[in-house]
Amino acid sequence: MSRIRMLGPRDQLQAVLGRVQDLGLVHLVEPAEAESLSLLGLTSEQKRHVLSVHQISKDVDAALELLDEAPSSTKAAADIALPRAALIAGRSRRELEALAEQRQGVEEERALIMKFRPFFSAFRKISQSGLDLDGIRVFYLVLREDGEQELRRMRAALREALEDGFELLSQPSESGESAMLLAVPATDAAKAEQLLSEAGVQTLSLPDQFEDESVSATIQRMQTRLEDLPDELAAIERERRQIARERGRDLAQIQATVRDHLATIEAMEQAVVTPRAFVLEGWVPSAARTELKQQLGKAFGNQIEVETVLEEEWAGETVPVVLTNPRLFRPFEAITRMMPLPKYGTVDPTPFVAVFFPMFFGVVLGDIGYGTLLGVISLILRIRSKPSTTKRAISEIGLACSLFTIIFGFLYGELFGDLGHRIGLHPIIFNREEAFFPFLGLAIAIGDVHIVLGLVVGAVTMFRGDKRRALGKGMAAVMVVLIALALMAAFEMLPERFFTPLVISILIAFPILIIAEGVLAPIELVSTLGNVLSYARIMAVGTASVMMAVVANRMTGAFGGVVVGTLFALLFHLINFVLGVFSPTIHMLRLHYVEFFGKFYSPGGSQYRPFRHWSAQQGAIEERSE
Amino acid sequence: MGYETFGLYLSAALAIGIPALATGWAQSRIGPAAAATLAERPELTVTAVLLIAIPETVAILGFVVAVLILMQGGG
Repeated sequence: MSRIRMLGPRDQLQAVLGRVQDLGLVHLVEPAEAESLSLLGLTSEQKRHVLSVHQISKDVDAALELLDEAPSSTKAAADIALPRAALIAGRSRRELEALAEQRQGVEEERALIMKFRPFFSAFRKISQSGLDLDGIRVFYLVLREDGEQELRRMRAALREALEDGFELLSQPSESGESAMLLAVPATDAAKAEQLLSEAGVQTLSLPDQFEDESVSATIQRMQTRLEDLPDELAAIERERRQIARERGRDLAQIQATVRDHLATIEAMEQAVVTPRAFVLEGWVPSAARTELKQQLGKAFGNQIEVETVLEEEWAGETVPVVLTNPRLFRPFEAITRMMPLPKYGTVDPTPFVAVFFPMFFGVVLGDIGYGTLLGVISLILRIRSKPSTTKRAISEIGLACSLFTIIFGFLYGELFGDLGHRIGLHPIIFNREEAFFPFLGLAIAIGDVHIVLGLVVGAVTMFRGDKRRALGKGMAAVMVVLIALALMAAFEMLPERFFTPLVISILIAFPILIIAEGVLAPIELVSTLGNVLSYARIMAVGTASVMMAVVANRMTGAFGGVVVGTLFALLFHLINFVLGVFSPTIHMLRLHYVEFFGKFYSPGGSQYRPFRHWSAQQGAIEERSE
Repeated sequence: MGYETFGLYLSAALAIGIPALATGWAQSRIGPAAAATLAERPELTVTAVLLIAIPETVAILGFVVAVLILMQGGG
């Protein structure tokens, strides 16, 4: 990153910002304060203008949300005058909110009428006969399916309270519940109401517009309304779509224009000015510095001066970070990005992740069958994803993992577990079903290499700053290597004559480590050795995976029929495959984040956010989230 | 099955069983706390997953010890 300073005549500030926004290269920051300069700030008139632009922004956002129209990144900001934008956004919002309100009203009415639906079929005869129930209060009740006993109890209670002055009609409805009508003289309505409430029977209240109508008229009107409501909803939807057709594009453009306008105002606030000149400062990727100078030179000639700020002037400030890796490693940036970004000037661990993550994954899963399956799934995901999206990155990580899984599958001679052995595949390095010790040894050896690499990277990074701590890191790496070699000599994996010189080397290195890192160094060393042992999980998870596959294969003959057994075996393989992909992913992430990154990673970098058009920014966000 | 074999299997079972229970207990405490954290700060997902995965080391080392016991005993 390079810190640049742009200087020019004050009346050109807006135009320069416009061009800088078009280029989308500069991450603007407030310039270091100087006595003769002051922040531009906003006049009261400009503040009022900002408020009105914010209002347009709110209107347009609300309107687009109601239109269900996601603003597309392809819709570049058009040159729309703000008064016209305010008019369109405000009108659209009002109309769409009114439509949404109407729609809600219709849906509520439909939901309410649907509650009375059991009565439509159950009491069709009453509605057809036109029975007059004037002067009678009618209660609409619904009983659950098993409400027979409840019905009898209620009838008895009503008889006791009202003698014969009531009529209770019950019909099973289409939905299986019992729909009931209770008719009582209006004078006894309060008594009946109290009885129903004591019995805990659900009473349906009539919507306002159906009050004061007879049962038959109510049911008929409700049926008519229910038939009409879908047409009303369709009409509302037609109107909404018409607005979307006529103004959707305009609204999306207004949104982009207004956001760009607000971004420019925010950028202007970061400028410092004298009565005649302005100063803008920001960060650009070093490779893009020349392009920025050329483009501004082309647009404004020698009116604008772009200079590089010396490192001494910005030392200690937070520098924005952008991860730049070769194409092959780029998908693995997704794994690095899951952690806070690395501090500027420290190591980006993505290349290490790109090498070790899929390799560890392959060591754990190591099966030709599962690897092929993962490869096919990843390939489908890759075909169906867009470039530069998270989905694309995941698919490419999956492809790398599947490749290593197939390679290690050949080395272990595994194809869906021990099926490979049965069809003549032979393990090249070892058979994971039996060789626990060699597998454990391989896992620990991988851990040793990985941790030592982490310590070396840490030492190299620190060497520029704290040389003593860098020496400590280096000595820790040496100690880990020496201890590993001494253990190998002790277990006769190396010639025994190496043991004594190795132990002497450890005894010499130990005091140097304490001098370099302090008295806590031995604790740190034990923790580092614990980190190496943590790689035993490669063996543990890998063994669990192969054993599950072996159990799946044995199911074929374990359930009587071959077909049933094969089905169970396939199901078990599927479960093992899902676990076999999920589990190594979590564990390998942990090995990277905790054990490996812990040795050198310095989080704390801020994201590089260039000042650019909102549509371009939105496009990048959309791409990442897909 | 002699006492020696019984003891061997029991030791292996305890070597994996006790750490597995300890891991389960630790994760039962971390899990709800992580879920509550994620409800408020979803950006801490990675940290939460890592915190949940950390106690698993104990179970994994228990598994390795259990395998060592069985292999040393010729099981």
